[in-house]
Formats: sequence, C-alpha cells, structure tokens
Amino acid sequence: MAEDGTSGAVHLLCLAASSGVPLFCRSSRGGAPSRHQLPFSVIGSLNGVHMFGQNLDVTLRSARTEDTAVVWKTFHDSVTLIVLSSEPGCSELRLERLLELVFGAMVLLVGLEELTRIRNVERLKKELRATYGLIDSLLGDAELAGDLTQCVDCIAPGDGPLLQEALAGFAEEVGSVFASLVVGGRVVVGTEGWWRLGSPEAVLLPWLVGTLPAQAARDYPVYLPHGSPTVPHRLLTLMLLPRLELCVLCGPQPPLSQLEPQVLERWWQPVLEPLRACLALAPRAIPAGFSLHPDILGLLFLHLEQKRAFFTVDLGGEEGPSPRTRRRLLRSFYVLVTATHFPPGQQGSRLPRECRVGSPKSLAHVSLFSSEAGSSEEKAEEQGCPTGVPRACYVVSGAAAKGPEGREDPGAGLRLVAIQAGPRRLLLLVSPQSPTHALRGLATRTLHALTPFL
Amino acid sequence: MSGENTSRAWRERLHGQTPPLPAGKTEADVAVTARPSDAPASKEEEEAAESGESGDNRSRSPSYFSGSDNDDLEAEWSDSVQKYGELFYLELSDNEEESLLSEIPVVNHVRFSENEIIFDEDYLREGRKYEPRLKKFSKILKSRRLLPKRYKKKNSNGPVSILKHQPTQKMGIILQQRYKDVSVFVNPKNAMVLKAKEHLKLLEVLLGIIHQTKWKKRTEGTKLVVHGLLPGGPAMKSGQVLIGDILAAVNDVDVTSENIERVLSCIPGPMQQEILYHYPMSEASQKLKSVRGIFLTLCDMLENVAGTHVTSSSLSLNEKLVHVAYWKEDDKLLLIGLPAEEVPLPQLRSLIEDVAQTLKFMYGSLNSAFCEAENVARLDHFFNLFFQRAIQPEKLYSSTCTQSYDASFSLFTDTLPGVQWLTLPQETQMEIDMVLNDLEAADFAELSEDYYNMRRLYTILGCSLFFKGYLICSHLPKDDLIDITMYCRHYCLLPLVSEQRIGHLVIWREVFPRHHLQPASEPDAQVFQEPEGRYFLLIVGLKHYLLCVLLEAGGCASKAVGHPGPDCIYVDQVKATLLQLEGVEASLDERLASPSNPSLSCADWFLPSSRDKLESLTSSPLLTKLQYTSRAITSPSSRRRLFSDYSLKTRKLSPSRSNGGFENGVEGGEGGGSSPYTTLDPLPKQGAKEAQSPGGPQASSTLLKVTKKKATLPNPFHLGRQKKDLSEKEMELFEATKLTSGTENTLFHYVALETVQGIFITPTHEEVAQLNGSIHSQLIKNFHRCCLSIRAIFQQSLMYEKKKALNVEGNSESPHAASSLSPVKEHGVLFECSPENWTDQKKAPPVMAYWVVGRLFLKPKPQELYVCFHDSVTEIAIELAFKLSFGLAT
Repeated sequence: MAEDGTSGAVHLLCLAASSGVPLFCRSSRGGAPSRHQLPFSVIGSLNGVHMFGQNLDVTLRSARTEDTAVVWKTFHDSVTLIVLSSEPGCSELRLERLLELVFGAMVLLVGLEELTRIRNVERLKKELRATYGLIDSLLGDAELAGDLTQCVDCIAPGDGPLLQEALAGFAEEVGSVFASLVVGGRVVVGTEGWWRLGSPEAVLLPWLVGTLPAQAARDYPVYLPHGSPTVPHRLLTLMLLPRLELCVLCGPQPPLSQLEPQVLERWWQPVLEPLRACLALAPRAIPAGFSLHPDILGLLFLHLEQKRAFFTVDLGGEEGPSPRTRRRLLRSFYVLVTATHFPPGQQGSRLPRECRVGSPKSLAHVSLFSSEAGSSEEKAEEQGCPTGVPRACYVVSGAAAKGPEGREDPGAGLRLVAIQAGPRRLLLLVSPQSPTHALRGLATRTLHALTPFL
Repeated sequence: MSGENTSRAWRERLHGQTPPLPAGKTEADVAVTARPSDAPASKEEEEAAESGESGDNRSRSPSYFSGSDNDDLEAEWSDSVQKYGELFYLELSDNEEESLLSEIPVVNHVRFSENEIIFDEDYLREGRKYEPRLKKFSKILKSRRLLPKRYKKKNSNGPVSILKHQPTQKMGIILQQRYKDVSVFVNPKNAMVLKAKEHLKLLEVLLGIIHQTKWKKRTEGTKLVVHGLLPGGPAMKSGQVLIGDILAAVNDVDVTSENIERVLSCIPGPMQQEILYHYPMSEASQKLKSVRGIFLTLCDMLENVAGTHVTSSSLSLNEKLVHVAYWKEDDKLLLIGLPAEEVPLPQLRSLIEDVAQTLKFMYGSLNSAFCEAENVARLDHFFNLFFQRAIQPEKLYSSTCTQSYDASFSLFTDTLPGVQWLTLPQETQMEIDMVLNDLEAADFAELSEDYYNMRRLYTILGCSLFFKGYLICSHLPKDDLIDITMYCRHYCLLPLVSEQRIGHLVIWREVFPRHHLQPASEPDAQVFQEPEGRYFLLIVGLKHYLLCVLLEAGGCASKAVGHPGPDCIYVDQVKATLLQLEGVEASLDERLASPSNPSLSCADWFLPSSRDKLESLTSSPLLTKLQYTSRAITSPSSRRRLFSDYSLKTRKLSPSRSNGGFENGVEGGEGGGSSPYTTLDPLPKQGAKEAQSPGGPQASSTLLKVTKKKATLPNPFHLGRQKKDLSEKEMELFEATKLTSGTENTLFHYVALETVQGIFITPTHEEVAQLNGSIHSQLIKNFHRCCLSIRAIFQQSLMYEKKKALNVEGNSESPHAASSLSPVKEHGVLFECSPENWTDQKKAPPVMAYWVVGRLFLKPKPQELYVCFHDSVTEIAIELAFKLSFGLAT
C-alpha cells in the first residue's frame, strides 16, 4: 500500500448498502484493468465511514488527499458505490459521473429490481459479473468521452442522409423506432427514436456494443436505466462490416431470425461504400474532406441539448503528444471548464423532451425522457453572476512539448481553448506554435465550421 | 482540536454571544469587545492589585528604565498588560468613540481580561478536556472573571456568585440551614482508576468527603453528614466544606446517603477526551462533532492507502453541502468545516493553511495553541473572528463607500501570500526608509549598551510600515512579513488604520516566526545560525499608520526571562518614529489621490447607457479620446527606438510568445492616425484584422506607456535589487505616468503577486472608488471570484512543480506527467455582461465582453498576475499587461 501501490489507479467498490457485503471490486491502473485490489480492511473502512455518517444523517460525499480522490454514492438505498482514484488530474466531477454511469451499467444488464431488492447476495454477485466488461471499459482509458460528458460520442459520416434513409427504412421494416449504426462505440446515424433515448442508456448502449466481443449477430437483453429500468428489452446487433454494427432496440418482436440476410442486403447493399467510408472515419469522427487548422491537435465538440459530441484527436500532426495524452488533456480540460467556468445552468433552455414511443406493443408503456441536466453537474461550483457570463476560456499548459532532440522547450506549452455558443461548446487542443491571442479566433471559426454537423 | 462550523446556526451564536454590539457592527467593535480597553474602575483596581501580587512574571518589566521620562506613557496601556506580558491595547479615535457611544453607550465597558484566567490546577490538567458541562462552567467562570484561586475571597465578599446566577450549571454542594453553594472540580476518569484500586466510595474519590454510615445518629436519618475530609481532596481544597456540614444536593439533585453513589456515578465520564477544542456550539457544529469518527478514520486510512495527507472531504448536512478541511500536525488534527455555498473548497484550503500558520506564529505550534487550557478564551475570540471573516467579510468593513469592493477584495486577496504594496515616489520612499533605519539601529540613548552598562533587551530585527492599510515599507524578510501580515489581517488591523478609527494601538506579544525558528539543517560555521532567541512582536498604531516591529531577545540582546511585557522604551521609540513620519503623510495622501498607474478604465464607459444609440459604441468617445492621448504622448525619438527594438525581437522569437501583440499595437497606432511608424514590418493577418477594431489605438497608447516603463526597468525579474538605485529614472517614470493620466485604456483591474518579497499590487481602494460604476463594481467582484479559481489551478501547478523537483532526484518521470493539465501557466476566461436594469424592450441590451487572465511565472521565482481587460484588445493587451505590472513591482 505504498505510494506507488495506487498511483494512477482507480478502484471501484460496489457494496450492498444495508449489509455492507461487497458485491464486486474492479480496479484499473494506467488505463488498463488491473488485478491489484484494495485490502479488505480498507474496503471495510471506506464503507464504514459512509455508513456511520448515514446513521447520523450526515452523508459523506467525497474526500481528497493531495493526489487521490474518493467519492461515495448510494443508489436507491440499496447499493453503495465507492470509487477511489489516484489518476493524475482525477476530479470529483469525473468520479461522480463515473459512479452514475456504473450504476446505470448495472441496471442496464441486471435490472433495477434485482438491485433494489437484494434477496440473494450470492446470486446477485454472479449476475453482476456480466457487467464487468462494460464497467472495466468505463474505468479504463477509452477513446470515447461519453462517460465524462454524458453526451453520445458520434461520427459525422460523409453520406449522412443516405445512411439515415437506409436506417429509417430498415427500422420501419423490422418494426422498431430505435435503431442506429455504431462503429467502435460511436454512433454514425440513429433514428429519431434512438436519439430520444434518455441518459444514461443513450451513452451506455453504444458503449456496450463497443465492448462486447465481436459477433455476427446478438440478441442481448437490456434494461433501460432511465426509460425502462424494470422491464427488459432486446438489443439486437448485426455486424454489417467488421466493427460496424447495426443496433436495434425492440420488444419481444421481431425474433432475431426474422432479420434475414435478404432484408439486410436490401437495405444496406446499396450503401456499402458509404458504410466502408464510415469505418475509415471512425477515429477521426469528422469527414476527411473537412479541413481543420493544422495547429489543432484534438477537439471535443458538444451539443449540450442534443447530448451528442464529437471527440477526436486523430487530426494529423504527427509531432506533439501521443493520442492518449491528447485525449487525457482534453478530458482534464473539459472537467476544468465544466466544474469551474461553465456552470450547467446557463446552457440555454433545456426542455425535457418527452416522447411517447409510437411502437404499438412492447414499448407502449415506455415513456422516455431525455434526462434533465446531469445531477452531478448541477452543483458545479460558482453560478455565473448576471454581469459575468463566461463565454470562453483558455489554458496554456506548461507541460512542454518535446522539442526535436527530446529537449523540452520551456516557452512552448500546449494550449487548450473552450468556447460556448448557445447549446454548443467546443474544446480544442492546440499546438504550442499557435499564438495565445489567436486562440479565440481559431476556436470561433472552428465552431462555425463544425456547426452543420451538430 | 476542531473548529467545526456550519452555516446559519453559527451566526445566531455569534450574535447571541456579543450582545452589546450594534447590529451593523464593525471590526473595531469586535476588537474592543474581546480585548481590554478600559473597564469599570473598581474592577480595574482589583486587578491591579492582583497582578501586583503575582508579579513574578513581569521580572523584565519596564521598571528597568523607569527612571526615564516616560511615566506618563506607561499609564495609558500598562494596566492592560496581561499574563505572559501580552498586550492588546486599543484606543479608538475620538470620532469613532463618539459614534459608538451614541449608538450603544455600554460598548466600551465590555471587557474580557485574559490575565484573569487562572485555573485551578486540577482543572488545568484534566477537567477541561473531559466534560462539556465543566467546560461551560469554566466559560462562565471566565466571563465573570471568577478565579478559582481566589474563589473563596470573592464568594465571601458576596456580590458575584455565579452559582446564584446560573444554578443549573453548577456542581454545587448545598449545606443545610445556611445553604452554601460550593463548586468543586471533579474528574470522573481519575475516580474510576482510584476506585478500582482502593475500593473507595465515589463520595470520597470524587468529592473528598468522608461519610461513615456507621456513625449515623438517629436524628440524621439518611442525611449525608460530612464526617471527614480527604486531605487534598476537592472538598478540602475548596476550603468551604467543613466537618459537620450536611451535603444536601449535587447538581441540584437532592442526595442522601442512599442515592449519593448513584448520583455521583452519573457525572459524565471522559467521553470527549479526544476533542481538544471545539468552536462554536451551534447545532451544525455539534453534528459535525458527533461524526468526527469519519474524519479520524479517513485521515488515518486514506493516508495509508494513498500515501498522501488528507486535505478535505465534503458531506451533506441538513441538505447542505459542507466542506471540511484537514490540517494534520504531529498526532493532532485540525478540522474546519464551512458551508460550500459560502466558501468554495479552494478558498477553504487556503483558509485553514492561514489559520494554522497564524496560530503557529502566535503560539509556536498548534499543540501549544490548543492544549493550553488558558487559551480557550483567546481561541474563541480567534475563531469568532475567523468565521466572521470567512462568512460575512462585509460586516468587518465599515459601511462607507467601498464596502462591496472590500468584501470581494478580501475574498481573493486574503488568500494571497503577500500584502498589498503601495508604490511611492522615490523621495518619499527614501525618507521613510531612513526613518525606519534609524529606529532599527536602536541607537537611542536609553538603548545604548554603554549607558546602562547592560545588554540591551531586544534587537530590532526589522519593521514594516503600513499606511491606510497598504504596506509602504518593509525591512523584514518575506516570511516574517507574511506572518505579521496574517496576524494583522486576522485581527483586522489593516482596515482599522485605513479609516483612522484608532487613536492609539499598542500590541505586544511573544511570537514564533517560522523564518527564525526553522531547525538548522546542518551546523555549518559558514552559514549564519539563528540564535536561540525568543521573538516579540510590537505593533504600534497611530492614526493612519501601523508600524510592526519584530524584536529578538537572546542572540546579541540579553535573554528573555519569564514573560516580559511590553517595554516602554521600545513602545515609545516606535511611537516617536510614527510621529516623525507624520510629515510624510501629506505626500502619501497625495500619492493615493493621484491618478492610478497604470490608469484604469471603468467598465461602464464601455457600455452605452440605455438612452444612447447603439452606434455610439462603434464610434465611441473612447476612440477620439485615445487619439487625443496618443498624440499627447511625447518624446517620439525614444518611442522609435523602443518600437524597433521590439519588432526586432519579435522577428527572432516565435509568435507563440505573443509578441505579435506588440506589432498589432503598432499597427493600431497607425489606425489611430497619429503614428509615424509606417516603416515597420508588415503584420500578421491577425494583427491587421485587429487594427480595424476600435481597440487598436487603445492598445497603442497602452503600449507606449509600457514600453517606456520597460526602458527604465530593463529586467523586470530582478526588481528587488534595483530598487535603490533607480531614483532618477523612477521619478521620470512617475512623471510619465502622470502625463498619461486621464487616458482611458482597456485595463479594468489587476493584481500582481510577487512572492519573493511577499507583496502584491492592485489598484488602491481609492482608485477603485474613483471609477465608480455599477457594472464596474460587479465586474471587479467577478474578477476576484474568477481569480480565486484560477489561483486554485495555479496552486496545483506549483505543487506539481514541487513534486517534479523531487522526482528528478529519484529519476522517475511520472508516466502521466503530460496527461494532466498541470502545470498551467496561463489561464484566461472571457465573460460577457450587460447592464442590469435594461428597460428598453425593443433592443437587446448591449453586451460588453471582458477577459480575466491569470498568469503564473515559475522562474526565477514564482510570480502571479491577474488582469481584467476589455475584449476589444484582448489578445494584444495581455502581454502588455504583464509587463505593465512588472514595471509596477519596483
């Protein structure tokens, strides 16, 4: 348990709230799942302090040391999740959202009833094993940002309308309103219904598809944590191309067997080329033809009302930090911006969009709301005051870029800039060559250029 | 020891606790209330007699020099000297006193006197820690100035019996017929041990009363007759319980020989022993106290798991989020809890650090601050002030013009490790320096060693002088300066002098400055070794001046024995120094009244008022004014040189250094129509674009000033050393800024922190008051709030650098080093604002955008700069602004 025992590690503990029995513990180190686990005594104390406070009407929310943060959260008085992270730049915002999402993942695969009325702990433990894959991917280093931003990671395909049309037609034929094309956890196109899925399932479903082992077709029972936490639905996935999957969310009908090759072929054969193009596009997220300023090393572009986002660091520029570092920088910056400067209250009108799903049988009872503002975001510090609404901010990081001979150039630090315009927010990672005073202009132009995509 | 507190409950207590204060009480009142100023005469006499009796701790009293001519001075404050020689003497200015008297006549008669708190030994050792009831009791004792030592005397005199006033609080033994109330301190914990060992009755162990049931006479029934007293027992110590007395009641419970053991066993045992100190007694605070197990466990466990100290935790209490900050020292843990909505976490973290540092400065260590029972009243006062400062800073400032500014100002600047510095004209500066040097030399007749053929009592290590709350001269090392500033800040002395609310202030206390008390790393003959001395802080305030002097006893002065009180000679000399400085006051006032340097703009000027047409924004009066000023600026030759310098530099450097800004500025000058510099390099596209905006010319005028300053101060990073030999050039500089005064530029506000000298520079309150605008004051509030969060990020960067420095030795570069944002060296936020009461329904309110930018310089020494400026020149102004404030930091 020395210093290096936990540095850069994330430990997630799940316990039954009433009894304190551990349901599972997952750990990751340096972005990859790890077997190293916290000693049982530590798990006990972590849960103990929380329970002790609870008995006295004091809810322990979080604690921090110089480099570690711990967040506690109890869901439905039944399951307590604790996360202890010593990753550099770990923030409470990230950890709180992580816990929400982890619980969402548990509901997604096990169902809320099973979690709130624990009859047989051993059985529940076994059932929860199914969630390990998904949860591990949430803990680790993902290429996506949905776990943090609560927005669905998307790809802007070159031939969007074409694919959209094919998808809509296909969905209608199989009798579902929820269908989408997913590449590596990112949604290429989705039906109108699919976009109305609430949080967290909107983020979790593509994420789940991205983490499951490759299979030609699946029929996977899922609960929708927001829309239908107690009644399972079926998630049908069909691999159209390697890594490119067609997802359909439906009730008891139609059986997987009904999705015959002929149906698929009819709808998808004509758009095979656009589909292939999507594959190539996957890490870049925005069309290849779309040119960005060469100084831009990475971007995170969010539509806070639609809850969709582009997140990419694959924009060329061989020099500079590795893609992994770029992603981490952008994520850290997102946390900073969201927790400190752009409080969620001022993202414009966020109407709860209600939708009664038109599907006749199975889904009639499901009414889906897009989730209102992320609850953890709500209490972000510092509400904007009337005379000072933040619109943009930038950071010059001293984390110096490596010069040609591995020497650090002290003068040049990476720049990060964020601007907010209406519901859209753009975060850019910019190379050190770009002058500070040009950052805002660069961000504004980029935001305007990207606006058609979201 | 814990100073937990939350929210509303605390305030109630605060008001309840200090009833004589007027509702809108000011800081001076607080100081008066809590510390002796003057008191009812009768009591005073009594005290004087008392302190004369116990005069052993004043062995180094001023009597040494009493032959000299200061008898009259002694009379003023010498009565207020407290145990351990401490003194806090405050005499309000006449005006202030009158106004107070008219409000509430009693205010000057409220008084605590700390030298009166002498505890019974048992109590000192054990009592306080254990039992809340006893604690309360002791508070009553304190507040009524009842000394256990002379308890008997007082009681027999009769007039002040706490037992009659507070019957429920007592631990009384009432005797028959003529009932006697006797208070004794009992220690149940001690009793348990003794009882188990010797099979004694509780009556004997706890009270020291022997009652033999066998001896019982028929008439007595079950009455508890005192048959004997245990030698040294509480009953005997009290001196009031006599053999033959009958014990009637304990804590208002009637007792008989049958129930006495049960009643006594109900006295609460040592339940709270791990809490050394606790403030306040509010409901929320009690709640936090009840869950202290959480904090202790977290502190222990997380340290094991993470290998680093716990810094804070957050919990919800009655639906409210409360942050709790931790400070661990040795095996003691200090916790401070404050509601999150009032105090954001980064601020709380810096608050607890300040508290710990100030307490260490005052008491040597947290341990001695919290473990000495007699400190309780002082700590109560300390934390009362602390919470007031944290939660209702506005209440600490007078209700005059700049109130809101003061509150938002203190929000941010109180967290800075520095003190606000007022730049002065060289001449004035020199004069002050000389006066202070004279004092520091301690070459006055009475202090000369030859004169008395004795070693002097103290060496003057240095002093710092404040005028109206601004530091104007400091001859102290940075750490000492910061320690002293924190002390002054905590006791709100600076705003006090800024409004001349004091007639006369003398503070004397032993202090423990970290700079001098650091353990020597290695005994090395070459390196200066701090003597094993003791240190004393003497603060004398007179009208607008506050002079803090740090004295050293031991070393080359004689050793301090006991707890010396303030020495008349030194107080006198310091006072004389202040009187000597009265002559400079005029020029200081002039400096404060003179237009600021650099000149600031008011945010409201950038917004057309609701009547104005919107077009006025584009063809703004600003522009014309600026053109005018840029023409007004003189000495084109020097400008030419400077500009070419810069453009050369720019070509060499990469554009990322933002030097593009200068070129922009130059181009802007051309746009303004008055600049002859058409031969300069073609500009980057960005700049050309900027030049079209009205911001351009403004930038140029700012630039001119800046470059000028730049010329006089070739290396802004080593200003400290050059300070002395700049006189002529600096005068020029002052002239120059005066010349451009009245210019409007886009700079709204700035704070420059210079950690080497422990100072920061920001526009004076007077300057801000001059720019009186509704939006502007809002903007400044927002600026300070934003700076707080920017600074929190910089703190992380500094910590990261520290860690990196450690890692370099271990040769292990963290694999994630580059993946977190740290170290952040610059951080800017753009805000938009519009007038508050926009009545015009047809048009959208005009929008004004401004930047708040913070910049951290790590090398050669950490410096921080925060600026706020209008968006129109955003990109350009930044680097200028940095230079600007470095020019200031002389």
